[in-house]
Amino acid sequence: MAVGDEPRSFIFLSAILGSRVFDSEGRAVGRVLDLGGNIQESYPPVTHVLLRLEKDNRVVQLPWRKVESSNGELIVPSLQPEDLRSPSLAAGELFLKDALLDKQVVDTDGAKIRRVNDLQFLKAHKALYLVHVDVGFHGLLRRVGLQRPARYLLRKLFDYDMTDQLISWKFVQPLSSPDLLRLTIAHNRLAQIHPADLADIIEELDIHQRSAVFRSLDVETAAETLEETDPKIQVSLIQDLDMANASDIIEEMSLSEAADLLGDLPRDKAEGILREMEQEVAEDVKELLSHPEEKAGGLMTTAFLRFAPATRADEALETIRREADDMDLIYYLYAVDGEEHILGVLSLRDLLTAKPETALADIMDTRVISVDIEERKDRIADDFAKYGIMAIPVVDADERLKGVILFKNLLEVVAPKLGR
Amino acid sequence: MADIHFGVSRALREGLPGKKHWKTLALFLALVGPGIITSNVDNDAGGITTYSLAGADYGLALLWTLIPITGVLIVIQEMCARMGVISGKGLSDLIRERFGARITFYLMIVLFLANLGNAISNFAGVAASLEIFGVSRYASVPLSAAFVWWLVVKGNYKSVEKVFLYACVFYLSYIVSGFMGKPDWGEIGASFLRPEIRLEKGFLTMAVGLIGTTVAPWMQFYLQSSVVDKGLKAENYQYIRMDVIIGSVMVSVVAFFIIMLCAITLFQNGVRIESAKDAAQALAPLAGEYCAWLFAFGLLNASLFAASILPISTSYTICEAFGWESSLNRKFLEAPQFYGLYSLMIFLSAGIILLPDMPLIGIMFYSQVINGAILPVILVFMLLLVNDKRIMGKYVNGRLMNCISWLTVAVLSVLSLGLIVVSLF
Repeated sequence: MAVGDEPRSFIFLSAILGSRVFDSEGRAVGRVLDLGGNIQESYPPVTHVLLRLEKDNRVVQLPWRKVESSNGELIVPSLQPEDLRSPSLAAGELFLKDALLDKQVVDTDGAKIRRVNDLQFLKAHKALYLVHVDVGFHGLLRRVGLQRPARYLLRKLFDYDMTDQLISWKFVQPLSSPDLLRLTIAHNRLAQIHPADLADIIEELDIHQRSAVFRSLDVETAAETLEETDPKIQVSLIQDLDMANASDIIEEMSLSEAADLLGDLPRDKAEGILREMEQEVAEDVKELLSHPEEKAGGLMTTAFLRFAPATRADEALETIRREADDMDLIYYLYAVDGEEHILGVLSLRDLLTAKPETALADIMDTRVISVDIEERKDRIADDFAKYGIMAIPVVDADERLKGVILFKNLLEVVAPKLGR
Repeated sequence: MADIHFGVSRALREGLPGKKHWKTLALFLALVGPGIITSNVDNDAGGITTYSLAGADYGLALLWTLIPITGVLIVIQEMCARMGVISGKGLSDLIRERFGARITFYLMIVLFLANLGNAISNFAGVAASLEIFGVSRYASVPLSAAFVWWLVVKGNYKSVEKVFLYACVFYLSYIVSGFMGKPDWGEIGASFLRPEIRLEKGFLTMAVGLIGTTVAPWMQFYLQSSVVDKGLKAENYQYIRMDVIIGSVMVSVVAFFIIMLCAITLFQNGVRIESAKDAAQALAPLAGEYCAWLFAFGLLNASLFAASILPISTSYTICEAFGWESSLNRKFLEAPQFYGLYSLMIFLSAGIILLPDMPLIGIMFYSQVINGAILPVILVFMLLLVNDKRIMGKYVNGRLMNCISWLTVAVLSVLSLGLIVVSLF
């Protein structure tokens, strides 16, 4: 941006709203109601000013480039009737006060929902660029008009200076309408947030923002976020999607999480989603769905690796490399016979340190701890605590290996009860 | 928990009306709570005092006012519940977004003061009711404050809400004690058929007081937030409406029995009382010791119930308006304003009760005045919001509903302002 003689400075939206507008001959034109900005730019430039005219109370919009000076009051050239148009913005533009001020935004840097107390613009030459969002108490006091007394009091009493709490616009994701999420989707900032934090944010939003935010995520982020979300909210998020989108996202989730979620959905919705899913994944999920949620069968996943005991270490490694993407667990390998009975277990570490030509049977541990498919979760938790393992295999009444429970999945069951 | 949740989602998916009745019932039971809890909290120490005084001073003459009061409650709460379901936002959230920072800031300060006054009167209620059982206030107030604080900060909000819902059952003690006073139903029925208005200051003040104690500003905020917390969608709205109606009727039933009991015992024997505690004590010789105990127990339950909900509701409301972290799932340091406000409110209100020579009656009185003064403001904001198409879409008030609600708001506003004027001079 070109910088003229005028120095650069910062100015708050609250200082502009309500300012009087004069034309170059000093006649009062009206007052500022709002500013329009192009939200698709990385630092949105102000494009329009919304005025209430003094003479007939009409609300009109004026291009910002007509504004000659904006120090305290706005000076515009003598206006012709055709300069004053009814409010209408181009695609990608919106009125900043209306869409942002006092509304909620996501601070993607701090992974928090904040409320906008003010907007700060950089004034360069005559142009204004939205650069910061003020979310601090100081900003709130400025809006209320108590900034000066409060600052004086704090300085006298506690020798404390209040500072503005500003968030750079590049870390701000506006939420107030679904349009806003769509407009900024090109550089969706929500993807910068860790899915677990994103899940917390989604839980705190209202039902409309929630589904708008969720829809704006790419499939992979959506799946990871959904895994971390409260089951009740999972259901309502998926309910709002159509079958095809829902099945895309659920396919990306881990098998056991996907099964839990489908189990909570209405029957026809769940069946519709299963039909849309890849055949293979759908079969696995259906298998898991047939077990009650609070027992071993409902907690386990079937996406893990099993081998014949005669498999060589290098072959096993090769298989892992190929399959790992679709597996929920690769850290343990289970050796099974033709009838799926567990013969032994070895860890990825054992495999990596073994000579390539060694057979798994020679390095596996045959003292395998397993749980019955009907086992209750508190007993399984005891086993995890006792044996200090990361996953526990699940067997049916005939001792056949049916699945594996990850410590992570059980942790979600027991963690809420810890420390209470 | 898991089973209940499973039941809810199953009920949600299958329980649309017209299918099977038990499913509709299951769905209803899963969704009730906000309306019933709010209404019952509304019968707090201040409410019970007012009802007792109304019965003791004017006998059965004011009973009929409970009918319009129920109507007013339903109209107001229905709008709140509807806004909560449709917008998915709390009332202070909507006020901030629609009316800006300045109005919200001052409104929140006044609301905090009014709610602090209410909290004080509820801790006073705890102290008074336990003194009847011979427990010193220097034991009962700190213990109950610690209990309330612990319940919310260390407990789990879902379980807390269930405790509250069960606590509503204890309001039945007033109904039982009402029957123990051996009422003459014919005479009581007649008092409804011949509504009486006396144009004298005391009578009118009491009538307004009855309405004022039933529609409190904080209720609107609490109800709407708890509806939002339930995460309901528009299609489940009818169940919430049912919840609100049942809650409002419950309030009036409890109020009816308190007024009635005090009327047929205290009023008929010419006993003058100043507070709910006096009422409980005066009941013993007239209606038996058990009846007095039940009455005192009811007061304890109501005070404790309201003392638990008011501080948390206030901190939610304020934090929501200013965008501060406000979730019980956060740790103390992650949500300092939320826990700070909550703790401040509990310990301030409990502490004030313990100071010797505090003019408690005066504090309660002025908190009622502040309540009365901000009620019209909040009601007008509510009506503007509920009629805003951008927020409510097609769920804005219909024309009839608007007539009724504006009329209600106008009458309520005139009454509460009138009460302030009357009481100040």
